[in-house]
Amino acid sequence: MILGLDVGGTQTDTVLIDDGRVVAAAKTPTTEDLLATLRAALERILVGVDTARLKRMAFSTTMATNAIVEDRLDDAGMIVSAGPGMDPGWFSVGPSYHVVDGCLDHQGFEVKGLSRADVMDAASRILGDNITVLGVVSKFSVRNPSHELQAADWVGHSFSHVAMGHRVSGALNFPRRIHTTYLNAALYGIHKRFSDALVQILKEKGLTGPRYLLKPDGGTIDLAKSIQWPAQTAQSGPAASVMGALALDGCKGTTLVLDVGGTTTDMSVVLDGTPLLTPLGIRLGPFQTLIRSLMTHSLGLGGDSEVLGQRDGTLKIGPVRKGRPAGMGGPAPTPTDAMITLGLLKTGDGSAARAAMEKAGKAAGWDAVGTAERVLQRMAQIIAASAGAFVHDINARPVYTIHEVLEDRRIEPTSVLLMGGPAAQIAGYVGKAFGLPCRFPRHHGVANAIGAAVARVTSEITLQADTERGSVIIPEADVENGIDAGFNMEQAIALGRELLCRQAAGIGADEKAPEISITEKQVFTMIRGYARTGRNIRLKMGITPGLIPEWKRSC
Amino acid sequence: MLHAARRTGLVFFPAFDWAISPSHPEREERLLYTQDQVLEEGLLDIDGIVEYRVRPAVFKDIQRVHFCVPDEAAVTTESHLISAGGCLVAADAVLKGEVESAFALVRPPGHHAMRVVHGNRGFCNINNEAVVIEYIRDRYGIGKVAVVDTDCHHGDGSQDIYWHDPNTLFISIHQDGRTLYPGSGFPGEAGGPNAQGRTVNIPLPPQTGEEGFLYVIDRLVMPLLEEFEPEMVINSAGQDNHFNDPITNMNFSARGYAALNARLKPDIAVLEGGYAVENALPYVNVGIIMAMAGMDTSCVKEPNYDSDYRSQPPEITRYIEEMVGRLRDLFLEGRLKKAPCGAGRFMERSRDIYYDTDAIHERQHETIRCCQECPGALSIASTSNRGQHVLGVHIPVTACRVCQKTGSAWFEEGRRGAYTHVYLQDRVRGVYERT
Repeated sequence: MILGLDVGGTQTDTVLIDDGRVVAAAKTPTTEDLLATLRAALERILVGVDTARLKRMAFSTTMATNAIVEDRLDDAGMIVSAGPGMDPGWFSVGPSYHVVDGCLDHQGFEVKGLSRADVMDAASRILGDNITVLGVVSKFSVRNPSHELQAADWVGHSFSHVAMGHRVSGALNFPRRIHTTYLNAALYGIHKRFSDALVQILKEKGLTGPRYLLKPDGGTIDLAKSIQWPAQTAQSGPAASVMGALALDGCKGTTLVLDVGGTTTDMSVVLDGTPLLTPLGIRLGPFQTLIRSLMTHSLGLGGDSEVLGQRDGTLKIGPVRKGRPAGMGGPAPTPTDAMITLGLLKTGDGSAARAAMEKAGKAAGWDAVGTAERVLQRMAQIIAASAGAFVHDINARPVYTIHEVLEDRRIEPTSVLLMGGPAAQIAGYVGKAFGLPCRFPRHHGVANAIGAAVARVTSEITLQADTERGSVIIPEADVENGIDAGFNMEQAIALGRELLCRQAAGIGADEKAPEISITEKQVFTMIRGYARTGRNIRLKMGITPGLIPEWKRSC
Repeated sequence: MLHAARRTGLVFFPAFDWAISPSHPEREERLLYTQDQVLEEGLLDIDGIVEYRVRPAVFKDIQRVHFCVPDEAAVTTESHLISAGGCLVAADAVLKGEVESAFALVRPPGHHAMRVVHGNRGFCNINNEAVVIEYIRDRYGIGKVAVVDTDCHHGDGSQDIYWHDPNTLFISIHQDGRTLYPGSGFPGEAGGPNAQGRTVNIPLPPQTGEEGFLYVIDRLVMPLLEEFEPEMVINSAGQDNHFNDPITNMNFSARGYAALNARLKPDIAVLEGGYAVENALPYVNVGIIMAMAGMDTSCVKEPNYDSDYRSQPPEITRYIEEMVGRLRDLFLEGRLKKAPCGAGRFMERSRDIYYDTDAIHERQHETIRCCQECPGALSIASTSNRGQHVLGVHIPVTACRVCQKTGSAWFEEGRRGAYTHVYLQDRVRGVYERT
């Protein structure tokens, strides 16, 4: 049996899956105390369950996200070395940020050694500020991590935790590397305390199987291992919804997944069962990061959004949410009231909902039913327009080879999959607004918990081989090996695969042959003057977000 | 999050799958390290720096500018069309008001491509800047345009295309042609009879450094632009004046390029040459992008700047000051001796053109109608050692009735002549024909 849990803004969903089928589902109100919420949700779903049969459990929590958004991060010190380019002072983060002397170039060659005196001085000032966690970042450290390793070696023993830039991602982006490293350092203590408390609760309940947290890329990571990478567990909600869609529907063709909630509608695109990922990483509060994430877009429009009727016969819906729908005791008309008025939803106070619709349509001279009909049409139109812009932006992304320009591969959704509370009520309207087949899966109300439960462990590596420098480097795995002049793409792929699988196993993967996708593969002959001096190989590969083999789609 | 003081568009097309030949400087990884540096700096995350996707140009975009022999398909590859199209994307972004300025960081380059194209000259087939100018004239009704070519090599292709156009001011700053390809670009080359003084060549001696370039910009280029009052300024942003460049002898730097750009404030910058792909381009391009975005570039410099950069010797400073003085006399104080050009007369010239990359010899005979109303009808007879003998007739976009008639008559007459192909480039009617 597998347990899945998703902490949402208002409700925490839990599911139990047995033999590939959902056997129990529950909703518990989310409160400000996350651990108490988790405890209550577990207690509700586990009533009468033989916990010894639970082989696996996965959680999508809001712990890291809330800590970032509510500014409850621990103080973390930063030691940064840059060299020429943008002023590293511009990326200052945290209460104790220090730029030290040292420079690497884009190939990873050392231009200027790291200043030991600067690093020691910075560390003592950070410790003087009573800060016990540290982040060290160098520009181009993903091409050569030696400066980061050196700094950690010199001063790391004085700190309870050191986060290093080259370990957070192999991608080039110095400002994002600084901020991602900082988040991993500043979340370390909070995440560790949370994880310890969660383990304690699980032990109390007799849950001893493997435990996973969901990441924003739709993959999972072992709870204990996540302590090294706490920022990777932030903002997993939208990923839970997409993985739920994948689990319940399969998402053949080009599927636009819409998760309609109370305040927002989250959108994503799944291509033949594989969700689209962002090119660089997710934004967390004010921080642009290198944390791999599914490509999602959030529109400020949901079932509880405020409806404003204008005199000219137009309806404004969202992004404001005044509270619960009028039919449920709230202050303002909402799309949910429209659903109640039309009899699509058998809940709440029908007369209050009708009154709210009448009020919204009064300026234009419509009755309650006419208004309700128009509200749902308008809601679907707004969603369709926003989705159109989302897809347009995906298609407008730059490409860098003639091949890609000529191929001009564009994303055009062939169907819409609706998730979330009102999916069944608005499917008809949405299908019409998009002009596409629109469907919603069974269990769509608890899809997020299902998504978390059955998502596989994912990981990613970036490989760069430079035969002139005589080295191959995979920063995420902390690997740098010597290579000879004949090192080629075939060997690079084999090495990448081996290290990717090893890395994934290290964070909890137990699949024998997970699906791997190569997202970047380039080889360049390096020439000086007119002589060939080496070969430059670049490879990026990752385990594709997907479902664990234990899940069998139950339709 | 960082904000750009000026909204800046970036069209990046490194053409990672195209080279002239395997060991040619114009090969796949030319912009690879620039991409590395731009990505690592996080420039694309800056609020106000907008990256655009390229689109291929179409043959019509080429036909507004060139006579391609025998036709467009024969002298272009996809990469040329995409590179030119990338420049059009940059122009659209600026003229639609989405950004204040835009940088087309594209390859292959174009400024050695002349109006008649038999093949590749100086790594260029299609003149990207001219493709932009004629496109924005048609699409957005732009009239006066200035091109400031800061590539180390004389922009002889752009000069050729705008030699007769009084509505285009072409300024080229380059290493003295007596010491470098293509061997032209002297102050005496000042424009055709209808556009005298609209071509300004500023040949700088080898070893010219930051101060020399910026002196020329301040004392000569900026006053010329002020006087001409162009609607658009395009910078042919070659990067081979760099002290690390392997095929030139100048002493410019990334911070120098950034300072130049901050003064010039071009509406559109287009990458041209520059082949120090590892130790100059990454830093120069970061400097240019930041300068266009109005950011502080004081931390931008090459890793070997402190050890290898040399400021220019005093005798170079004196030489440049003296030359700028003479050029100011000619182009700003009105002392340029203008050739007599009576309206309705025809002026002719003949010349030999060599295509270094493709080893083509071309012989041209050009006839221009002297005109006070418009840039004048132009015909070019061109013969190459590949057996082509063509006639191209150009009717400028602002042509007067007489010049339109003259051009049409030349074309009709040419059709009856013994040419392999006859071309009409009627910019007034937008008609591009080839027999």
